[in-house]
Amino acid sequence: MKTNLASLMDYYYDSMYPSLKVLEEKRLRTLFTLKKAALILCGIAVLLFLFLSQNAFFKPLHAALISAILAFLAFMFVYRHESAGYGMLFKDQVIEKIIHFLDPSLSYDKNNSVSEHEYQQSELFLESYDRFSGNDLIYGKIEGVDVRFCDLHVEKKIRTKNGQEEWSDIFKGLFFRADFNKNFHSKVVILPDIAERNLGVLGSWIQGMNIQRGELIKLDHMEFEKFFVVYGSDQIESRYILSHTLMEHIVQFRKKIDKPLYLSFIDSQLFLALHYNKPLFEPILSRSLLEFDYIKDYFELLVMITSIVTEFKLNEKLWSKR
Amino acid sequence: METFLIVAGLILLSIVFMYNTLISKKNQVENIFAGLDAILKKRYDLLPNLVASVKEYMVHERITLEKITELRTKALGENLDNATKIALEKQFSSMLGNLMVAVENYPTLKANENFLHLQGTLNELEEQISAARRAYNQSVTDYNNAIEMFPTNFMANLMKLERKEVFSVPSSERANVDVKNLFKN
Repeated sequence: MKTNLASLMDYYYDSMYPSLKVLEEKRLRTLFTLKKAALILCGIAVLLFLFLSQNAFFKPLHAALISAILAFLAFMFVYRHESAGYGMLFKDQVIEKIIHFLDPSLSYDKNNSVSEHEYQQSELFLESYDRFSGNDLIYGKIEGVDVRFCDLHVEKKIRTKNGQEEWSDIFKGLFFRADFNKNFHSKVVILPDIAERNLGVLGSWIQGMNIQRGELIKLDHMEFEKFFVVYGSDQIESRYILSHTLMEHIVQFRKKIDKPLYLSFIDSQLFLALHYNKPLFEPILSRSLLEFDYIKDYFELLVMITSIVTEFKLNEKLWSKR
Repeated sequence: METFLIVAGLILLSIVFMYNTLISKKNQVENIFAGLDAILKKRYDLLPNLVASVKEYMVHERITLEKITELRTKALGENLDNATKIALEKQFSSMLGNLMVAVENYPTLKANENFLHLQGTLNELEEQISAARRAYNQSVTDYNNAIEMFPTNFMANLMKLERKEVFSVPSSERANVDVKNLFKN
């Protein structure tokens, strides 16, 4: 697995650049199309406004609002269509190539995601959901460890105070799963700790009351306890899984990514979830593909994800798992 | 009259709550010790196999092997209380550690398939024992906290509950681990 930026730069200029130039033209054309559409729709909006305000039925303010909203909706439609086309090409030309550079044995399926079964199996988010979607599935073996991860978006419908229905995010971001290097029968779930950090002993008492989650496991690693609250079904096996070394690795990783981290150990697998506000592997239309700095960001994201295997030493097999 | 009843009711409820909490914590300690005990037994059961496979090679360690077998018999004895079990376990761990270090002097043994398999199993058991020890110490700490902190300490006094000891790793065993690392270079 290559993690070296210098060799990425070579790969970028040698193998990726030619097709990137072609794609860059598509990007510029897309931007141009969008600007054209914006101008045309502005023009239509103005015309519509003038037409409507002639009609006594519409007050000028209403006419303006209606024209603006219609024009905006039309623009969004064009934008979605154009950027989707560009996005697909971007994933083929850029993301797939970066993944291949990182580790040729990894497979990439831009339209697929982890299954609902895997999501439910992880027990990271217990709320019932109404919409499950994801893409950019990457799977294969890293240092001999089976991994699968993707960009996931899970939502539920809620009723706001006005009685309207809205979509609310349960989880949006990276969902990762790998084989764990120890055999175990019980479950451990590690969630970001909010109560204990703010309320101390009282917070710990409140966390203990969470019936849905099983027994509260209090661990003997101070920093780990500050970041996380742990629930498990067996006091001894939870500590067998969460050795001091692993807790230390998890804390270091959590400090590095500086985001709330969710982990679980179930059925001899490790599940990991990281909230991200925006999609992981979508292109930014306004940034040029011919800037190495921009492409490097995607590479660094992939390195961070795949390094979970080596950071948590999942590739060091215990005797019984050989 | 009514306020008196309400207050008496609340006091009664708190007494019940405190009593149950203390019992629950005491039982949790026993529960986890039972788990620890089970894993220790697994390790003790491994010993005859281990002794049999190293006996022919480790001609200079005959006395150590005899002593460790004796210890095992004692540890598996009936009706030992928890404190004795822990003390014996510490001795056993220490001797086993010494034995595994001595293996470094017998290169043919180190390469032996059977021995390597046993060593692998032992290492895994050590990890499980370490986990059980940590769980035991946490449960003892929770129990000690409950019997010493206000307000449950009054209840604990009435119930004649006493502090328990955590399972500490003896400093000699820690020294053994360092020597092992030396050999690994």
